[in-house]
Amino acid sequence: MQSVLSVLDQEPIRFFVSFGVILFLVLNLAAVLTMAERKVAGYIQLRYGPNRVGPRGLLQPLADVFKLFTKENVSPNRADMWIFLAAPIAMFIPAALAWIIIPFSPSAVVADLNVGILFFVGITSIGALGVIMAGYGSRSTFSLLGALRGAAQLISYEVPMILSLLGVVMLTGSLSLVEVVQAQGGGFWNWYFLPQLPMFFVFYIAGLAEVKRVPFDLPEGESEIVGGFMVEYSGMTWALMQAAEFASLALISAMSVTLFLGGWQPPIEALDLGNFNWAWFGLKTALITFTFQWIRWSVPRLRMDQLMNLGWKILVPLCLVWLFVTAGLMLVFPSLGQ
Amino acid sequence: MIVAFGFLAGMVLVSAFGVVVSRNVVHSALFMSVSFLGVAGFFVMLNAPALAAFQVLIYVGAVTVVILFGIMFTQKPQVRRFATIINRQFWASLVVALGIGAFVAVIVSIEDWGDTKSGAGSTSVRDLGRNLLGVGQAPEIFSLLFEVASVLLLVAVVAAIVVSRRKAGAGEDSQVAERVES
Repeated sequence: MQSVLSVLDQEPIRFFVSFGVILFLVLNLAAVLTMAERKVAGYIQLRYGPNRVGPRGLLQPLADVFKLFTKENVSPNRADMWIFLAAPIAMFIPAALAWIIIPFSPSAVVADLNVGILFFVGITSIGALGVIMAGYGSRSTFSLLGALRGAAQLISYEVPMILSLLGVVMLTGSLSLVEVVQAQGGGFWNWYFLPQLPMFFVFYIAGLAEVKRVPFDLPEGESEIVGGFMVEYSGMTWALMQAAEFASLALISAMSVTLFLGGWQPPIEALDLGNFNWAWFGLKTALITFTFQWIRWSVPRLRMDQLMNLGWKILVPLCLVWLFVTAGLMLVFPSLGQ
Repeated sequence: MIVAFGFLAGMVLVSAFGVVVSRNVVHSALFMSVSFLGVAGFFVMLNAPALAAFQVLIYVGAVTVVILFGIMFTQKPQVRRFATIINRQFWASLVVALGIGAFVAVIVSIEDWGDTKSGAGSTSVRDLGRNLLGVGQAPEIFSLLFEVASVLLLVAVVAAIVVSRRKAGAGEDSQVAERVES
């Protein structure tokens, strides 16, 4: 047993095994989160949500997956087939690939890149390409409108998102996520959400916009452009798009936990679980994901001009101001930086 | 290593060829993003992960998306679909492409590279930043180039604002504004 484990720990094998585990996790996360979404919706609206399949509706994701697998893939006659079919893949691969830099616990990270944060922003920016491909490939008016909205929104909100990461990078002096988490050890008062509260706020809102969720679901806009860029998709291609959306929702939650809420660090030292500290990471990520779903069922959608005003006139200046404050404080108190 | 290089080179060349020959501007732009991804792969092979990340972030995630955005906003679908935009000057473009290729090849082979080896530099982002700002071991010319690039970006931003700004008296908004002022 021990020898098998040590063979699995060799470098290329370890990478492939852990990447497989991550892929498995991401696909299942997407399935479980669809059910969580409907359950949360149910409880917020004082009803039960799905409750027919299995005990308390817990097997609903299984039923959904079976339905989507057996459904026919319909595509518009005039669709640009190559782009139409490649778009869900171009959306899903970045969302799944970005997970390899998330540190689940001190030793459980697929690839501890020394440019982890850069890798994250680079990979997630490819998602915008997927949205445009879906909208253009479908050759339908609603799709194209949704894609244009999506591209404008994703590009605009990348700016505050990247700026909001800089405060953490300055305090840590590293782009590696493992080092970011290690710098936050020793109790919740050391987590970066306290000194970087405006940045956390900006990251949270920009993340909400990057995963195209209410109140920033203009690319989808189900009541005005009936589903936007994904209106022509059905069956497995639609399922892949949903999987990408939910995977990036969980990814943004995991990133905000890693950067601002201490990652796998327990809230107080006494609660340290050793090798099982990933439970803290999972708990915090689940909580953040829940707040995303809570917002979804409580807040109305923004208009396009409100969206742009919020991004460019509030979030970006707030980031820049706090960047200067952080830099000034680090200059006055050199012990802040590490 | 050789296999990875061959794969990346094939990817870059095939998709670059696709940019030129495809009869649809959107296809060209998408091929171009694949080509950029291949270049990012080369940066990874050369032990420069930060450059690879910037390549993906800027060229694949931003430049291509903005180009696609522009294409979709500015052209009618019929124009986009047919070969109206494709330049037919095959021989002239062939001569230009071969000329540039030969020029670059000559420059690269004449230059004395000394004992520089690919992938031998520091991979840390800290060193990259220090070198760019001229406080590292690298020649100080990098800091000048860094400043020139930022001035260039500033000029581009100001130019974009000037171009997109409506001239006084041209549109409805300015008439409304004049009425409000008077």
